[in-house]
Amino acid sequence: MSSSDVRDVLNLSEGASGTRPNKKQRLAAPRPNLKGLAREVHNLGGDNPIAIVPEVTQFKKRRFANRKPASRWEMRSFRNTARNDSTLILKHWRRIEEKQENQGSPAEELKQENGTQEGQAPTQDGMEDSTFAKFNAQVSVPQYSDDQYAQTLASDTWTKDETDYLLDLAKAFDLRWPLIWDRYEWTPPATNGEANENGDESKAIVPLPDTQARTMEDLKSRYYEVAAKMMAVQKPVQYMTQPEFALHELMAHFNPEQEKMRKNFALNAFTRSREESREEESLLLEIKRILARSERFNEERRELYSRLDYPHAETDISSFKSSAGLQTLLGTLMNATSKKRKTLPGPEGASPSNPAPPQAPVQDPGRRESSGPSTGNREPPATGTPTAANKKGQSQTQQPPAERPKLTEKEEAIYGVSHHDRLGSGPTFRTEKINKLFSHKSNQQQLRINNTLNELDVPSKLVMPTSATTLQYEQLLGAVNSLLEARKVSDKLDGEIKIELAKKAEREKTNAPPDSENSKAQEDSSKENTEKGAATAAPDAEATSKLDLTDLDDVEEGDAPKNTKAAGAQKEEEIGVEGKALRPGSSGASNKRSASVLSTASDKSSKRQKK
Amino acid sequence: MAQQPLSSAAQPTDIYGGDEVSALVLDPGYCNTRAGWAGEDVPKSILPSFYGHSTATPAQNFFGDERLIPRADFEIRNYMNKDSVVEDWDVAPKIWEHMLINRLQPDKQTAPSKNGLNDDPKEKTQDGEGDVAMEETENQEIEKLLQENPLLVTEAPWNTPKAREKTTEVIMETWGCPAFWLSRTPVLSAFAAGKATALVIDVGGANTSVAAIHDGMVLKRSIQKSPIGGLWLSSQIRSLWETSEPKVTLTPTYMVENKTPVDALAPVQARLRQFPYQIHSSFRAYEEERVLTEFKESVVEVWNKPGRLNSPGNEDFAKTLPGRVFEMPDGWNQMWREQRFKLTEGLFDETAGYPLPEEERVGKNQTIPALIRAALEAVDVDLRGNLLANVVVTGSTTLINGFNDRLQNELAAMYPGMKIKIHAAGLTSERRFGAWIGGSILASLGTFHQMWISRKEYEENGPGIVEKRCK
Repeated sequence: MSSSDVRDVLNLSEGASGTRPNKKQRLAAPRPNLKGLAREVHNLGGDNPIAIVPEVTQFKKRRFANRKPASRWEMRSFRNTARNDSTLILKHWRRIEEKQENQGSPAEELKQENGTQEGQAPTQDGMEDSTFAKFNAQVSVPQYSDDQYAQTLASDTWTKDETDYLLDLAKAFDLRWPLIWDRYEWTPPATNGEANENGDESKAIVPLPDTQARTMEDLKSRYYEVAAKMMAVQKPVQYMTQPEFALHELMAHFNPEQEKMRKNFALNAFTRSREESREEESLLLEIKRILARSERFNEERRELYSRLDYPHAETDISSFKSSAGLQTLLGTLMNATSKKRKTLPGPEGASPSNPAPPQAPVQDPGRRESSGPSTGNREPPATGTPTAANKKGQSQTQQPPAERPKLTEKEEAIYGVSHHDRLGSGPTFRTEKINKLFSHKSNQQQLRINNTLNELDVPSKLVMPTSATTLQYEQLLGAVNSLLEARKVSDKLDGEIKIELAKKAEREKTNAPPDSENSKAQEDSSKENTEKGAATAAPDAEATSKLDLTDLDDVEEGDAPKNTKAAGAQKEEEIGVEGKALRPGSSGASNKRSASVLSTASDKSSKRQKK
Repeated sequence: MAQQPLSSAAQPTDIYGGDEVSALVLDPGYCNTRAGWAGEDVPKSILPSFYGHSTATPAQNFFGDERLIPRADFEIRNYMNKDSVVEDWDVAPKIWEHMLINRLQPDKQTAPSKNGLNDDPKEKTQDGEGDVAMEETENQEIEKLLQENPLLVTEAPWNTPKAREKTTEVIMETWGCPAFWLSRTPVLSAFAAGKATALVIDVGGANTSVAAIHDGMVLKRSIQKSPIGGLWLSSQIRSLWETSEPKVTLTPTYMVENKTPVDALAPVQARLRQFPYQIHSSFRAYEEERVLTEFKESVVEVWNKPGRLNSPGNEDFAKTLPGRVFEMPDGWNQMWREQRFKLTEGLFDETAGYPLPEEERVGKNQTIPALIRAALEAVDVDLRGNLLANVVVTGSTTLINGFNDRLQNELAAMYPGMKIKIHAAGLTSERRFGAWIGGSILASLGTFHQMWISRKEYEENGPGIVEKRCK
């Protein structure tokens, strides 16, 4: 029966018949899946496939998925090596391992299997060992010889026989103390003469009253005593490994009295009345509730604190009194909160959500925080400088940088926070700065510096360049530089003075009217002044400069060694201040104006005088 | 992803721990003796420990319930005594043989040389000698039959060393088992409940025992024993029937030929069977016990509401509870109300219950709560809490309705501060054959192979080895 017949029966139009061949082709794909009746039913649908045909290909799952012959089993003998005697051979059913599958006829296969099958773990005679033999575990109880017993283990309350008996029980019951105590029935062997004569009667003894009274604590303490002592005998305490030692300590310090007390407590707890137990239960519940409540309270308090924790203003708030100021304040606060939420407050992370101005304080180069040369969130140098410049301007005009609590100097020292005007790109070594100080000098100068350092017994390379030592070293170098400068200047001045003195002597020789001489001297000094080009020099420069220079020489000669010998921290600091003041000069070119040197020298001298 | 069930070949034996070596398990008790293959969940062969003994010549023993029928010169005996220790060592091996070999092993074909078909007809004249030869071969065959099967036998925890050695001798000498083991019933009951540490309360037929098990070993000092059990309950019922008004006469089933149903408390209309021979009193007692067992199963209940039955108000309340009608084999029927609670009250309260003759009365320290208390006091205090949290209840008498609830109440009253958990198997067969099932589990474990006492060990040490090994 085809679909056209059905159509005939149902009086359906034949209009769609034209397209049928095509559809049939399309249907050709799923058709091969269907067989028998299902295909016929499917055909009834014709062009419109019936959807209700269930896709169940089989009504009951086939029980045996493979049609291979049933596997063979055999009664196989095995033995258990965990047994003390190896004579017991038991049998169990085991499947015959099929080594060659699907090869040859079943009969051949059987032969092959019979020939090749072997036990998994054959013992010496090829018989399989039980897979459970490996679970055989035994405790090790201490062993001792008679001598050892006499030496270390002798006890007033325990005989050797009873100790042996205890250890036997401990081994037999795998150290399960309740069982050992339960089965402990020590009956001391009769020692009277008649027992020796008839051996059977020897066991007819009267049990001593105190042996029955051995408590579990007695047994335990004796055993632990024996075990700890034998442990120490076999391996002295100082050679024990950590767990061994811990075990030894545990056993050596077993306290039967404490155990007894504990058991009495347990007994009391055991015989509690219902009311007592209920009370205890309710108390426990109450404690739990109180603890939970306090925890919640602490949580709430912490949250409250975190809410109250706002960024403190360091400067006056007058700048926020205008609306624009308030706007920036809002930005700052938002920035601060967003910073708080973020663990890593990278400037890139903050930028997309926030408008530009609030970012400013974060990137403010004047306040940039640097925990070390390897700070991750440093901006790339190309973009860094212009934006930094931009923002610098903004921050100077608008932004009071007050978004984080200020660290005190002590804290800064602790955390290693340092402030820099500008950092170069990338990580740098601290020593680089010192190297730079050297490399900028001419060879001769370097030589001189080195000579000076040698004189001072300071190595030219820092052994341990911490920030403090580098700073000191820098200062030292600055001082050395200024010293060298000053010496140069003083040499030059000395030479000039000598020349002038020689000139003067000559002139005095030729004509010696006093007043003209004086005016001449004045002229000379003015000449000198113009030569030096120093506007600040004193009119009686010759005298003062001489004085100053000698003074300076004094300082140089006296200070430098003191500095290196670290006579006093105050002095060092003073020099540090001087070094700072001198640094621009010393790091600069060698031909500096000597007046500045002079002025600083006079500064120094005045300070000295103050002191 | 759904896990496919493992094929039998790939079963991880190290997890299930089973490794069956076709061991047999024999669990003798006072009322029943159970035997079966280790690894099965129920004993294949359950026979009453009572056996029929024909005093007529030649003396003959009849094993099995179906053979205990009225006969002439026939009395019922039990090879066990009421302490569940084997008493009659002549019959015990026979009844055990009957169960282990005749009931468990398939019939073996007699060897062609022995089956009589190939015998020379001339030799048939010498009858007597031929019979003797047959006997001998049978014995040999029995030896052969048990030579392949290790045997695990259970014993009461108070079993005497003598009885243990005797059992060992029977197993090794008479049957020639390759290996054997003796295990105590409370340990096995605990194993059947899946526990290695438990307080086992076994209320059986002849007696009740309470024992603490620690790590698979019975704690000897904790073993408590009392005669209250199924038989004691039977005498309570007898006492009830004696004292009730009108008095109830117990006519066992075998005596009734036919009966007509009558109304409650109406006189019996039944015709009794007449036997041309004397029925031994032991047979009658055995048959009466059947009726009593039926009564226990269908009527008797344990008071499981709060408090005891004799607490104020409880008895009146018990009277309002629905009663149960029991019809005797002869048609006598009666509604039993509060009496059915009072019957079991003596299990928990020595003063309650029905009056008993002096020798059957139990003392103050023989009730179940007293036994439990004594057992717990004999163990270390550290164990007690754990034991109370693992109470295993086994034995047929615990199947009486309400027993577990009552036990829970009693324990909660005794130890109010402790966590008490009673583990009682739900299946009737598991409760009845707890010790056998435990033995079945134990003997089918792979790790148990190293425990068996082998023939060689027995031969080296003699029967005394059982005392050394089965501690």
